[in-house]
Amino acid sequence: MTVLKQQQTSGSRSETRRRGSPRGSKWTPYLFLAPAAVFILVFQVVPLIQEIFLSFTRTSLLNPTRSTWVGLDNFTRIFGDEDFRRTLLTTFIYVIVCVVGAVGAGLAVALLLNKGFRGRGWARALVTIPWAAPGIAVALIATWMLNPDYGIVNRFLDAVGLGVPGGAILDSPTYALPAILATTIWQLFPFTSVVLLSALQSVPPDLTEAATVDGAGRWWTFRAVTWQVIKPTIGLLAILMTIWSLRRFELIWLMTKGGPVGATETLVIDLYSEAFDSKQLGSAAAIGMVGVVVSLIVVAGSRFVARAAEREAR
Amino acid sequence: MRPLRIGLTLRILGVLVVLGVAVFPLYWMIVTALSSNSDLFAEKARLVPDFSQFGVFIDALAEGKALGWLRNSLVIAVGTTVLSIGLGIPLGYALSRFSFWGKAIVTVLLLFTQMLPEALMVVPLFSLFRRFGLLDSLGGLILVNSAFVLPIVALILKGAIDGIPRALEESARVDGARPLTVLTRINVPLIAPSIAATAVIAFFHAWNEYVFAVTFIFTPGKQPASVGIANFIGELGTPIQTVMAVAFMFTLPAVVFYLFAQRHVVAGMTAGAVKG
Repeated sequence: MTVLKQQQTSGSRSETRRRGSPRGSKWTPYLFLAPAAVFILVFQVVPLIQEIFLSFTRTSLLNPTRSTWVGLDNFTRIFGDEDFRRTLLTTFIYVIVCVVGAVGAGLAVALLLNKGFRGRGWARALVTIPWAAPGIAVALIATWMLNPDYGIVNRFLDAVGLGVPGGAILDSPTYALPAILATTIWQLFPFTSVVLLSALQSVPPDLTEAATVDGAGRWWTFRAVTWQVIKPTIGLLAILMTIWSLRRFELIWLMTKGGPVGATETLVIDLYSEAFDSKQLGSAAAIGMVGVVVSLIVVAGSRFVARAAEREAR
Repeated sequence: MRPLRIGLTLRILGVLVVLGVAVFPLYWMIVTALSSNSDLFAEKARLVPDFSQFGVFIDALAEGKALGWLRNSLVIAVGTTVLSIGLGIPLGYALSRFSFWGKAIVTVLLLFTQMLPEALMVVPLFSLFRRFGLLDSLGGLILVNSAFVLPIVALILKGAIDGIPRALEESARVDGARPLTVLTRINVPLIAPSIAATAVIAFFHAWNEYVFAVTFIFTPGKQPASVGIANFIGELGTPIQTVMAVAFMFTLPAVVFYLFAQRHVVAGMTAGAVKG
């Protein structure tokens, strides 16, 4: 009986909705987004709040339901720790070199592929391969190529007389980070170059032509015309690369686990080993929060700079 | 005429070098898989694959473990694709076509969650999953992977719906169609290319995912290929040819699909990640 009644009322309601407002009732958007919102709430927002809470407590992985509130202790402790300051420095180096390397290499490749030539479609497609390859597979093949005894990289370096003594690049505090950076940039440059290539194709050819006719050199044309058009894209890519680099885990974890002696330890690696090796969930959460705050500052800061630049341009 | 030639030659050389750098590691994966032991550990490296060794691929599959991994990865990836797109389409539609209280909050949340590293969320999600009995199950991984890929999926689809003229919807509404019907009959077919692109993103997000899989799965038979392959690193028991053969079978689908969807995927990722 009640069911019947409900059906009747809901039927008449939808009829009035049809006549009254063609966009449905004011609840319609909420009905559309509710499933996704619940999902994000449960699997992202709630865990994040828990993690923020954890960062103010001392909690052991072995007994995670028991937390002792310690206030800002975790933060003062990690910032007082020399190893953590080194992790911060490594993270900044990693992020900055990734951003500059990936955007720079991407731009170079995009400029190379921007002119028409036979087989450009193929070249464009093949260049995407590193980005399409799963990170796990990349870590595996990179580790094998860098194998001290049989790795092709060492064989090559030995052959040209640049061999690293002993050949153990990933075990060397000096060479491990550069090797990981090279692998990361290798994986990222296809993405940046495809994005920049489509930006370059929106550069009006009349403009570059006009500049050349006016006697402008190539470099000047690039700076005055091309660079102006692709500048927003470069900025966008820089932000994306920063966020991705601050998040990147498995490539570093599988290649070096942050070693040797912390030489490749970024914030995310540090947080994971703090949680699962040292079993300190509280300080692990604090380390993670530092990373999230850095991301936020970068994004907010870049928006601020972009807005200021816009105002100046007006 | 002369300087033009030189410029062109340099350009072609440059392109060839870039292609070599891009393709070599994957090529090397194949060469390693298709090498005999004596070639592999010889004084001088063999630089071309030895196709007489092709049996390694069949052996790797026949042994059974790898096939199970790939099957688990496929289940997780298909589930994640279906769930994240199923949730992403209505969310993208709501963000694109309606103005409502809380819209800004949702948008900011979608952008913000993209900054959260998986490694940070793994601890609280572990206790959440334990409470709901979701540990050690492929379904649990589908849920968590969908949650992580949903923001980018929803934002890409929102952008795609933004590009469809509203007039198309208006006429359907005049004919009395309800919002859900409008969405499924009018919008969804029109944004099919974007749905395909997000499907590729979601599928391979789950296919490649490692942190949650390695932490939440205990039964070896439930491991996806990402965990299985990662366990090869630093392990000495399995012949390197088998390792590379499995890794290659794991890599190939990702590369093939990305080649097809490349343009849409890249455009979507930049648009969805920042513009919102």
